[in-house]
Amino acid sequence: MLDIADLSVSYGAIRAVRGISFTLRAGELVSLLGANGAGKSSTIKCIAGALKASGGSITLEGKAITSASPEQVVRAGLATVPETRDVFPDLTVAENLMLGAYIHRRDPAGNRENLEKLNALFPRLAERSSQPAGTLSGGEQQMLVIARALMSRPRILLLDEPSLGLAPSIVERIFEMIETLKKSGLTILLVEQNVNQALAVADRAFVMRLGAIVASGTAEEIRSTSDLSAHYLGG
Amino acid sequence: MAFAIQFVIDVLSLGGAYALMALGLVIIYGILRLVNFAYGELIMVAGYTMFLASGSGLPWIVMAVLAVGMAIVFGILTDYVAFRPVRAKSVTAVLITSFAFSNLLQNAALLFISPRPRNVPLPDIFSQTVSIGGAITPVRNLITIAASILLLAGVAFLMRRTTLGIAMRAAATNFTMARMLGVPANLIISSAFALSGFLAGVVGILWIGRIGTVVPGVGLEPLLVAFIATVIGGMRSLPGAVVGGFLLALIDTTLNYTLSQDLLKFRDAFTFSLVILILLWRPEGLIRGPASGQRT
Amino acid sequence: MKHSYVTALILIGVIAAIAIGSQLLGIRLYDRISTNLLISLVLVVGLQTFMGNSGLLSFAHIGFMGLGAYTSAVLTIPSQMKGMALPDLYGFMKVVEISPLLALFAAGALAAVVAAVISYPLMRLSDAASVITSFALLVVLYTVMNNWSAFTNGPRTLFGLPKTTDMPVAAIVASIVVVVALVFKESRTGKLLRASREDEVAAAALGADIPQLRWRAFILAAFIAGIGGALWGHFITSFAPKAFYLKETFLIITMLVIGGANTVTGAVAGTILITFAYEALRGTEGALNATSFGAGQVVGLTEIVLALAMIAVMIVRPGGLFPNREIGHILTRTRRKKEIVA
Repeated sequence: MLDIADLSVSYGAIRAVRGISFTLRAGELVSLLGANGAGKSSTIKCIAGALKASGGSITLEGKAITSASPEQVVRAGLATVPETRDVFPDLTVAENLMLGAYIHRRDPAGNRENLEKLNALFPRLAERSSQPAGTLSGGEQQMLVIARALMSRPRILLLDEPSLGLAPSIVERIFEMIETLKKSGLTILLVEQNVNQALAVADRAFVMRLGAIVASGTAEEIRSTSDLSAHYLGG
Repeated sequence: MAFAIQFVIDVLSLGGAYALMALGLVIIYGILRLVNFAYGELIMVAGYTMFLASGSGLPWIVMAVLAVGMAIVFGILTDYVAFRPVRAKSVTAVLITSFAFSNLLQNAALLFISPRPRNVPLPDIFSQTVSIGGAITPVRNLITIAASILLLAGVAFLMRRTTLGIAMRAAATNFTMARMLGVPANLIISSAFALSGFLAGVVGILWIGRIGTVVPGVGLEPLLVAFIATVIGGMRSLPGAVVGGFLLALIDTTLNYTLSQDLLKFRDAFTFSLVILILLWRPEGLIRGPASGQRT
Repeated sequence: MKHSYVTALILIGVIAAIAIGSQLLGIRLYDRISTNLLISLVLVVGLQTFMGNSGLLSFAHIGFMGLGAYTSAVLTIPSQMKGMALPDLYGFMKVVEISPLLALFAAGALAAVVAAVISYPLMRLSDAASVITSFALLVVLYTVMNNWSAFTNGPRTLFGLPKTTDMPVAAIVASIVVVVALVFKESRTGKLLRASREDEVAAAALGADIPQLRWRAFILAAFIAGIGGALWGHFITSFAPKAFYLKETFLIITMLVIGGANTVTGAVAGTILITFAYEALRGTEGALNATSFGAGQVVGLTEIVLALAMIAVMIVRPGGLFPNREIGHILTRTRRKKEIVA
């Protein structure tokens, strides 16, 4: 469904991603693991169109989106939740969600239906719909950003570090929700540092280090690889 | 009593015009973090359009619509000439190109029209006066108040209730994230310039309606007003621009009433000193804008 | 460090060449243009000390030039002429008459003091707000000059300044200003300020109080502008406040930006280039006006061409002709490269 071939990303002279390749199949949840600075977020940003690739290609359902703008990528059916948890703080929760459906703004009925589904999934957001998003707690903001991404009715969702900086009980809920989304048939690419939980929900996983993929396989295989912790500890 | 009414009407009509001027500037700044120095020339364009149309025999309101339309066109043109080519390079580069574009338009007016003032057609109602509670006041002040209430309400509606407006507010806090939701960058920027041009066009007609003539440098005072009002109100907040506009009008009107004729000539200097005092107290302006934000 | 000396030598050489060249030609018109050029050089290099190091655009510069010009005028117009030139001047000032050289320093000092007092709170503002307030400051200074009739004769032309600025004087002042600008650029303040332009957080971590640094640069720039104003006043001998407003501002910003605001070399190169372009365009305008086609109607053409040139430079080469290296640096580098190759 999503094919990444020989992708490279550079910041000036620094090569953050060095020619990585992987594929996402429909309905799959794939985890991208690795320590800080391994190139995970750069990969995500590049797929989302927020960073330019310096080499390689990205193909979504046979269509090249390598140099697409962020707005073209979301139109192609790929939504992104960046790690910076970017809610629009002075817009209300409802306005944030409304913007999530920007590409479907001519289909209000479909949006309403979608919103109802999401309200069932995120009851807290429904309660706070007229509150400015900046007044939500960190966990609620994370929920909002995910819900907002889903308002674009994506076929693929990129999640960048959804558990970053959140309390364990909230992390638990986020992962439950990711499972629910997966069961609904959504294809998900999950970037995480929280290895155990990421592997618990993932079908397959890749481990990145210094901009390259150093291990890949099913979640089981990756878990049993003895040197996994070494990749994180930088040993 | 009559004096109080007079004072309030003066503050409101001047403040309404000031608020609209400031709003047109902040709409661009909020989204792009860039200052448009050619903003005053949009007012000039509206004025000269009225002058050029005055021989056509069209009804006044058609000429006014035409003038606002031209201001919108030149607003969008500013984006294409002065902003888009250098936007990604540096803040200073855009300041310089928009300043150059401002000079370009002014001198084009000088070269192709005239350095001398040109009469702008105005309906009779602009020169009539009415008495309210004993205060004799020009009708155009009341028109200005009405127009500014209408436009401020319109802008508020656009920004709060329409998808485009909400997208513009979102783009003002986090341009990249807005794009990642599918909001097209160029549409938002062009809309902002069009809205800025629209406000400049309307305010241009009201402003030039006070003097009745247009000269190449007519945009300078509105630009300055917009600058000072936005710095007082907070550079990145739309409500701040409106508050700044009314506050500046209050300061100016108070000085108008209290300063002697000799000192009145220095009014701008007094106003500016007050602005410095406000900035000593609150360098960010009175109303803080959205917390985060970046340029693209 | 060594290349700074080379830069200073080369730039002073250029100034000397302009001065001597125009004297050798012996045409009065060229003499006037060259003196004007050198005075502009003082102003543009003065602006460079602030803008080049802080990275902030300042519109107020010409306002401080005006302050300098009027200060020097009030101090030097012969007392018997003051009754006519400045009829409303306060009594105690009427008797003051000091030497033009002393007045030159007084002009710079007054501009610097005014700049120091007004600009202190403004230096804390974000970049956009500080540019905007500098623009407002220009308007305020203009308003004051236009209305404080006692000192300035109001919007009317002030005349009677002794003509003490000639080519050698302008050349000497320009050379000194170039050296001052280079020294300031290499000073601790200048270096920290340029570091802050690249990365505010890192510079602050080095202990740089950025508003304080900007403030110093702004005062220096105002001091030089004041001197430039006095110099110009004693060259032109009569002027009105409108000489210190947007048109002049546009011109010196064009010079600095096209040459390259980050370098003193750029300031000098831009001044020379734009002065010649300006004179050529003015000549063209004059010629057009002399024909029946123009009939005295062609105004603003020069500014239109300069504005287009400025926009084009910003698009193609946003750093100007000399975006980051001084001429001395460029030359010593190429020589070193050649040595390595050889």
